[in-house]
Amino acid sequence: MSSTGKATIFASRATTALKGVMGVLAAFAAWEVVRQTGFIDKRDLPAVIEVMEAAYSGLVHGDISSALLETLQSWISGLALATVIGIAGGLALALLPGLELATRPILEFLRPIPSVALIPVALLVLGIGTSMQLFMISFAAVWPVLFSTKAGVESIDPRFLETGRVLGFNRAERVMRILLPASLPYIATGIRTAAAIALVLAITVEMLTGRPGIGFYIENVRLNGLTAEMWGGILVTGIFGYLVNALFVGIERFTLPWSPENRDA
Amino acid sequence: MSQPLLSMEGVSKAYSADAQILRDVTFKQGSNEFLAIVGPSGCGKTTMLRCISALMSPDSGSVFHEGQSFDDPPPWLSIVFQDYNRSLFPWLSVRRNVEQGLRDVARSERDDRVSEALTAVKLDHAADLYPWQLSGGMQQRCALARSIVTAPRLLLLDEPFASVDAQTRIDLQDLVMDICERMSLSALLVTHDIDEAVFMADKVVVLSTRPATVVEEIPIDLPRPRDQLTTKETPEFLSLRHKVYTLVRQQAQ
Amino acid sequence: MPRDIRLRALFWQTATVLFLLALWQWSAVTHPAPYLPPLKPVALAYLSLLKPGNFMDTVFPSLSRLAIGFGLAVVLGTVLGTALGYLRRLDPWIRPVLEYLRFVPTVAILPAALLLFGATDTMRIFVIAFGSVFPVLLAAIDGARRGNALLLDVARILKFSLAEKLFRVVLPGALPSIFAGVRIALSIGLVMMVISELIAANDGLGFYILRNQRLFQTANVYAGVLMLGTIGLILTLGLLSIEKRVLAWHRGWRGLSDARS
Repeated sequence: MSSTGKATIFASRATTALKGVMGVLAAFAAWEVVRQTGFIDKRDLPAVIEVMEAAYSGLVHGDISSALLETLQSWISGLALATVIGIAGGLALALLPGLELATRPILEFLRPIPSVALIPVALLVLGIGTSMQLFMISFAAVWPVLFSTKAGVESIDPRFLETGRVLGFNRAERVMRILLPASLPYIATGIRTAAAIALVLAITVEMLTGRPGIGFYIENVRLNGLTAEMWGGILVTGIFGYLVNALFVGIERFTLPWSPENRDA
Repeated sequence: MSQPLLSMEGVSKAYSADAQILRDVTFKQGSNEFLAIVGPSGCGKTTMLRCISALMSPDSGSVFHEGQSFDDPPPWLSIVFQDYNRSLFPWLSVRRNVEQGLRDVARSERDDRVSEALTAVKLDHAADLYPWQLSGGMQQRCALARSIVTAPRLLLLDEPFASVDAQTRIDLQDLVMDICERMSLSALLVTHDIDEAVFMADKVVVLSTRPATVVEEIPIDLPRPRDQLTTKETPEFLSLRHKVYTLVRQQAQ
Repeated sequence: MPRDIRLRALFWQTATVLFLLALWQWSAVTHPAPYLPPLKPVALAYLSLLKPGNFMDTVFPSLSRLAIGFGLAVVLGTVLGTALGYLRRLDPWIRPVLEYLRFVPTVAILPAALLLFGATDTMRIFVIAFGSVFPVLLAAIDGARRGNALLLDVARILKFSLAEKLFRVVLPGALPSIFAGVRIALSIGLVMMVISELIAANDGLGFYILRNQRLFQTANVYAGVLMLGTIGLILTLGLLSIEKRVLAWHRGWRGLSDARS
């Protein structure tokens, strides 16, 4: 590519970035306008700069950062459990048509139940504690992994399996060397969806049961009337959610460069 | 009428400094004339068509329709695109697709004109089907019906027969010539098929490779009505075909 | 599927469900525990939720909040998203803000909504709408942006006005994508409905479940969860049947192009 071409690309990227920054500033301005109209009590809607200060000091002085670490811990363990169970279950459903057929009504009924509705049930059975939190996070996050694994295996071109048979793979080798790798792009998308759901559940359980974490932090500062801290907590949670997704997209790009989702990017 | 129906005067168009598409294109089309534009593939025929229809404005030079220039497609112009499966509204039935050109017309008149157009393209039996239920040739006939239902003066045809099979192409060629004759419609056909250009047109405009410019205008004085078999076997047809072929091949080299 | 295979499937499906129910009943009788009520009280509690009085106190408030919040989200997301997707030049301006907002875990907004609106229906409708608007909005933007450029040329030739272009060309073309977004939005809307009632309400299914959990009326808790599952199932099926009707052209279109390739 010629150097003028590179310069043009750089200039157009710079304009795009500038427009994005302007968009963010416009959002801040809109916030301030809402504040000034007086529909909402100004104490409930602090200035953007105060929110940022609260978020920054919470991160530096440890209130928000330690809460985030707690959430991160339960989120990761719940998601890991959901991934293992989801992949195993998805494989089983895809490879054993009889099992899939027999359990279909149950799965179809369980799936649309909003997972948070089971929090009271989980409280009854497991009480407040780590195991209840872990159960809720992984119960909610298991579905996307399960169904995307199943869809991934079912989407595999039968010629891949025939190739495996020609190469003399036994059943276990076919699963490990063909089925799993070929359905990885689907599984990855499922895990990315599950990661977002697991985060929502982790925060919800913290809010409702007072388990330590960012959800509890936000609710607790609200109850104490610290509105700037509450908005700061929400701001940080949003950034955290964004980073979680970016992390998974990055891992997918890096480990699955051949996946159809990454080819055109 | 003193003004020609369409005149291109020194039209140039470039997408960037290194990619000039059209260079100083000049030609005229009279009323009731069937004009064909041929050229080596990728020479910028589609860009020219977009300039003619005012979907795009040229960098320099002008396009006049009866002496006037337009910023937006003039109402008496219609186009049939090559990509029939992307130029029909997939969510509308054949009849509703054709109706789209007559949104301001009263219901009863609109129904009559739509039926008329559908009969003209022999699609009246399929009026309530959806585009995905039609074959390629039928879809292109639907697009043709939508173009003629507005009673245009100029019909632009952007390689309309390029994506259908050979037999369907022949049928469509006859259908289009027949309709142009009966409705005394001027047509401008852009094509890379030299046989088709010579067979259908009153005048063939040969373009150069990119940046495209007019190389030569060849009048085709074959008598009408033309017939796929007998016309194509006449020495006149063969010699005109030879002439156009030679010109296009010279450009490609 | 041939008839005998379908019958055999039905047999095994019924058998599995019955087996699990029997297992539940057996453990409830042999190992009585507060969290494991026998089937009969659960079924009775479920049926009593359908009685007009209970229905109006418990199921109806939840449903009406969901209908308003989710409806607002669908309309707003579709209209805004279609317009934003069509006006491509706006995209770089709004993209970073949207990309941030879409990944905010929606529950995090709940304390803020409580602060701003108090424990009111406005608050619950707001969180339902906030949670479900983003999938619709982003799907609409995406669908409208990837729309077919040739059809917009056709629309110009046919002298469509701006409104006609938006509603007759861009919107129908974006509908398949929008429906995919609406399906995701529905499940998020249901979640937000329940959470908003768990955290602060005095009626609705979430409140009913939480209160009965505190009173150790376990059968009622399970009945409430079953009712939520029923609602989720009915709404999902309803949405699918609307989609099937509205997008008949799209399935035919795709089926044909799949067959060709």
